[in-house]
Amino acid sequence: MADVVPSGSPRGAVRRRTGNATVSRSGGSSSTMMKLYTDDAQGLRVDPVVVIVLALAFIGSVFILHIYGKFTRG
Amino acid sequence: MGYRFLHLIKPFMGILPEVIAPERKVLFRHKVLWTAVTLCIFLVCSQIPLYGIMSSDSSDPLYWLRVILASNRGTLMELGITPIVTSGMIMQLLAGANLIEVDFSLKEDRALFSGAQKLFAMVFAFGQATVSVMTGLYGNPSEIGAGVCLLLIIQLVVAGLISMLLDELLQKGYGLGSGISLFIATNICESIVWKAFSPTTVNTGRGPEFEGAIIALFHLLITRNDKTRALKEAFYRTNLPNVMNLLATVVVFAIVIYLQGFRVELPVTSTRSRGQRGTYPVKLFYTSNMPIMLQSALTSNIFLISQMLYNRFPDNLLVRLLGVWTPHEGSNQNYASGGLAYFMSPPHSITDSLLDPIHTTIYIIFMLTACALFSKTWIEVSGSSPRDVAKQLKDQGMTLAGHRDTSTYKELKRVIPTAAAFGGATIGALSVLADLLGALGSGTGILLAVTIIYSYFEMFVKEQAAEGGIDALLF
Repeated sequence: MADVVPSGSPRGAVRRRTGNATVSRSGGSSSTMMKLYTDDAQGLRVDPVVVIVLALAFIGSVFILHIYGKFTRG
Repeated sequence: MGYRFLHLIKPFMGILPEVIAPERKVLFRHKVLWTAVTLCIFLVCSQIPLYGIMSSDSSDPLYWLRVILASNRGTLMELGITPIVTSGMIMQLLAGANLIEVDFSLKEDRALFSGAQKLFAMVFAFGQATVSVMTGLYGNPSEIGAGVCLLLIIQLVVAGLISMLLDELLQKGYGLGSGISLFIATNICESIVWKAFSPTTVNTGRGPEFEGAIIALFHLLITRNDKTRALKEAFYRTNLPNVMNLLATVVVFAIVIYLQGFRVELPVTSTRSRGQRGTYPVKLFYTSNMPIMLQSALTSNIFLISQMLYNRFPDNLLVRLLGVWTPHEGSNQNYASGGLAYFMSPPHSITDSLLDPIHTTIYIIFMLTACALFSKTWIEVSGSSPRDVAKQLKDQGMTLAGHRDTSTYKELKRVIPTAAAFGGATIGALSVLADLLGALGSGTGILLAVTIIYSYFEMFVKEQAAEGGIDALLF
């Protein structure tokens, strides 16, 4: 079971003899809102750097839109 | 519906973006870095206005939802994390209620379930964007023009996609915690800091006054001749944030942190090796901030519906029973002033609460019961019910000291639901207290922020213990 441990239950506190290979995500308090799993899925795989670049590109293009809008209107 | 609902998602699995899980454990300082970068992107997105909006200064029907959804009106984060939260909540409730069958021990099902959440998040984002643009939230669609309408929808959907990917990036282990909680906490803290230090001036009739409570305190003390009256003004002014509000915020903050430490420690022993002992702590805030989150999701949806109905049919008796909405003095924001919605909304201040004791009593009872019930429900839905915990302990070869396997479940059943219900009620009571004291940001907001910040603090301590010292952060 990858990690159905919810917010409140501090499973880390139970001392285990061997660290049996449960993958554990550090759970934020309301991280239970969207359960994602660390197993690799067959989806479109993206690198985290790509995500950041995508976000920046998006912000940039909205900026350009704003500037463009200023020019054409005024 | 039913048997293999999840298989309907399969064709879409190929196109759903998925952040690659890190190959090895990410260093703590790298985690901090990723978290900071993510946060920066979020903050920038919640400041840039959407391109093409005409107006957004009418009464805001989503006012109550903004707190838990980290959204900022008229900016790229207009929808904020709404799509993710909505889809995550609905899918988990459906899975928890066994309306869709998911076997979380199967790898394929887990992947499909994550996929389904993402797919629905995108569908929600698109739906919400279209609805809000078409209903004229940003100005009449025919005036804006089809091109700009399309641009608006694209901006909202892409922002939704990006916040989903950022959330996934953090959750997959590159960063700390989850994007959702990080964004909510940041949004609330931002508004608290703004209300304390805002340098904007507001003209009140007796010369300009600063909006920020602390700044206003100094400004008033310096400019006014009568120092005691100036102090009184800074502490008790009603139209703008005052120093009392700030103090109330600090007090609530402190109480929540203090209560976080309350727990029942159940001694556990290993069944595999003799003498192996440990404790299984059951916290007072067993469900953390979930009860308050669910409670505000419920009330704000009721408010939303009630406001829409009231605007359409202001004279209908049933609609008026649900809620009567009038603008509060000095703003365009509508507040409930009658009907069911009035009793579900917090009193504006402590004087208001004393003037209308019936409202206050009903509100308190409602909050406490709702939070306790949601808390009890959530442990079932989220897989932290006594049965799940008993199974976990058993899987790890642990049992409660002095109990056999079967009675372990009974003992947990005695402790956990009580802790959950009582903890939920406590959270509710704290939120009421914060609202009555007039703490900055709403009571809900503060509680969310404090519990999230505390869990981040715990995470920091844990990570540092694993990597050794604060040096890990610095170098």
